[in-house]
Amino acid sequence: MSAPTLANSNKLVIPTATNMVGDYWDNLFTAKERGKQVVWYNGSAVNPFFQAAGLEWCHGEAFSARLAAQQLEKPAQLAGEEYGYIGELCSYARTHLGCAVLTKQARSEDETGIVGLVDQQELASRLPAPDFFVNAYAGCSTGQQWDEISYRVFGKQVPIFNVSLPFLPGNKPDAGYLSGEEWDQASGYVADQLYKLVEFLETMTGRPFDWDALRQNMSYIKRASELRREAMALCRAAPTPATYWDWIASIAHINFMPAGPELVQYFTDVKAEVQRRLDNSTAGVRNERYRLYFDGIMNWNKLGWLSRKFADADVAVVCGRYTHNAFWQEPHLIDTEDPILGMAQHYLLCPTNHGVKTLKYLTNRDCVDYGIDGIVFHASRTCRAFTNPQHLLAKSAQKELGIPSMFFEGDVADASFYKDEILESRLAAMLEGIDVRRSRI
Amino acid sequence: MPSTFTQAMATLGAAAEFPNTYVAQWKQRTGGKAIGLFPMNFPAELAHAAGVLPVIIQEDREPITAGRNLLGEFNCGYTRNLADQAALGRLDVYDGFFQADHCIQLLGAVDVVREDEPDKPVYFGQLMSSMGDEWTFPQVLEKMNDFRVELEKFTGRAVSDDDIANSIEIFDENRRLMRSIFDQRRHGDAALAPDQIQVLVKSSMIMDKQEHTELLREVMAEHGPVPRDDRIRVHLSGHFCHAPNPELLKVIEDSGAIVVDDDLFHGTRYVSTDVGSTDDPMAALASVYLRRNSAVPCPTRVQHDVDWDRFLVDSVIASGAQGVIVLMAKFCEPHMLFYPELRKALEARSIPLLLIETEHEGLPLESIRTRVEALVERIRRKQLTTV
Repeated sequence: MSAPTLANSNKLVIPTATNMVGDYWDNLFTAKERGKQVVWYNGSAVNPFFQAAGLEWCHGEAFSARLAAQQLEKPAQLAGEEYGYIGELCSYARTHLGCAVLTKQARSEDETGIVGLVDQQELASRLPAPDFFVNAYAGCSTGQQWDEISYRVFGKQVPIFNVSLPFLPGNKPDAGYLSGEEWDQASGYVADQLYKLVEFLETMTGRPFDWDALRQNMSYIKRASELRREAMALCRAAPTPATYWDWIASIAHINFMPAGPELVQYFTDVKAEVQRRLDNSTAGVRNERYRLYFDGIMNWNKLGWLSRKFADADVAVVCGRYTHNAFWQEPHLIDTEDPILGMAQHYLLCPTNHGVKTLKYLTNRDCVDYGIDGIVFHASRTCRAFTNPQHLLAKSAQKELGIPSMFFEGDVADASFYKDEILESRLAAMLEGIDVRRSRI
Repeated sequence: MPSTFTQAMATLGAAAEFPNTYVAQWKQRTGGKAIGLFPMNFPAELAHAAGVLPVIIQEDREPITAGRNLLGEFNCGYTRNLADQAALGRLDVYDGFFQADHCIQLLGAVDVVREDEPDKPVYFGQLMSSMGDEWTFPQVLEKMNDFRVELEKFTGRAVSDDDIANSIEIFDENRRLMRSIFDQRRHGDAALAPDQIQVLVKSSMIMDKQEHTELLREVMAEHGPVPRDDRIRVHLSGHFCHAPNPELLKVIEDSGAIVVDDDLFHGTRYVSTDVGSTDDPMAALASVYLRRNSAVPCPTRVQHDVDWDRFLVDSVIASGAQGVIVLMAKFCEPHMLFYPELRKALEARSIPLLLIETEHEGLPLESIRTRVEALVERIRRKQLTTV
């Protein structure tokens, strides 16, 4: 095993990004002291509703990912194991449920409701206890069950609201990406539930919902998303000015940061930096020789490691399903005057919420658009939702585009499943195959 | 000459062991079409009313080969086996496929079926799993109507309400008979071993219902009740989609335990709830989807006023079981999520518990035997100390 270097990677540096995410979490940890209500939610980005309702919010997967990215996930996972969760369970769920156990323990030790005084040393126990839950999980069935169990861990005393997001299997002949009867029906069905969610929030807060605030929030998010998509499109150039890892680094911003001028400024700066690099021929990977697509949910423990690892092999990982087909990725759907339908549609557009027919279309489309040489599949050990279609996607890319692929194992928030030697040897083999193919052309 | 009981059991056992052979023979015999269903909640009554044979696709005994290259090795054995069956042509006997349940691993397997059976309809109508919302019932009813329309398209014939009501009665009759067997077991009848009961349930998932009911009556008429012996009484819990390995069931009973109750899909769960006679059969089918989860709660559903853990404790008390053996299909996330709640509830009532993880292949039967024997011994010692 060879440790990756910093020599060849050249990540984006965005001045406005300075601790934006860290500040968000620090702010959340003091929510109770400031008399704020806290909602725990999972799955889709329903946070604009919470912001408009004057709430503070904690996204379960995001907190698990943050712990893993900081190598701080173990206390929560151990608490989960001691409670009885088996190690093959979704590591997001396992980590977050461990946080719930720690948070509940801390709450019982501190009747003020301010969690964390007892266990300030452990980030995992610093989450403020939820005043209520909202579940809006698309694609993976585990999400809804995970929140139901969180509800039970807290003694069935914390109210919970479920938004049911139907899977888009592509049953009917007219079914396609953003089109067909299936899409229209599901969009309307979810939109109806979002109005019910607003009623629930009004009950929980005791205040009328601020629709103007929601419209304002969505106008910021729409603009931020447009800028993000425009910046991504600039990366069709070879060498690419920014990489998949740069888009991973800004997922938190587009996924659950508060909507506001800062968010728009952040993505304005991202786009400007990508454009500047393009104008100056500055590459995201200094010696780009290969352009790869990354399919799989992120291995948060290994984010920096992987970015350097691929760069060391002269590989620019340019785009991926997790970054490019998620997170308000179709801003044209959002009507800022009447945003509910467009929000519902985005909640359905989770990249694990499509049948393989649509996923093949999206993957092959992006591979063509970004001039991809091969696909890397991260077989995330405890994430069946993302790994389910991967073998079929690999076959499709090979058959339709002649693009090779490789698989490596890891996990979203459990480092023990990552095997560096496997990644290294399989990557070397695939790149060699690409070289051979090029030499024949 | 074998008794009617033996003959009937042999016929049921053959269907359970070789579903594809049964389906092929049924198609040849009737000229009808057969559809493959995926567990657990598709309204098979509708398919029956449409004149097709609805068959819940079983995990088969073949080693997984091609399926390993189609789904992750960390998918449950049932879904990997389904992918294997699809890839190697073992599902070719079916004319179409229908699914109602939103299990993420099952969806992966169904996508493989779509790929490998491209000329056949594969229809997924998602029955929502959040059971307590005000829009649950209308949404479930809408999906039931979708299934009806799709089945009408599939068969090219209209399905009347009377057809559906008739099929409901046929299915209810089968369930009632099966439930009477479970009731008798609960009350002390040990005539049928758990692997034999599994044959009854599994064959019911495969065969034409009226044919199955007839054979079931023969089985019931021929065997008298057999008082159970003094083996330790246990409840089997878990396994939502596929049947536990029969050899595993034998090991449990050989180790000094006797199964008196269960909440397995290939058991009580499958026959728990009748649709009932009604003037509105579609509404009844939607209603039974909700009522079934109250009768035998399932961790794949979200329903705040029912608890699998409470149900399990109540069942144990009702049957007089002295311990619970949890059979958890490896990688089954709903079960992994709910297990700590089961453990806590049973521990609070001092009910001994043994967790056994199961896999499609490589079940370590001898080490399982040791663990079951240890559970039995633990309960016996407890008995001695409380006498």
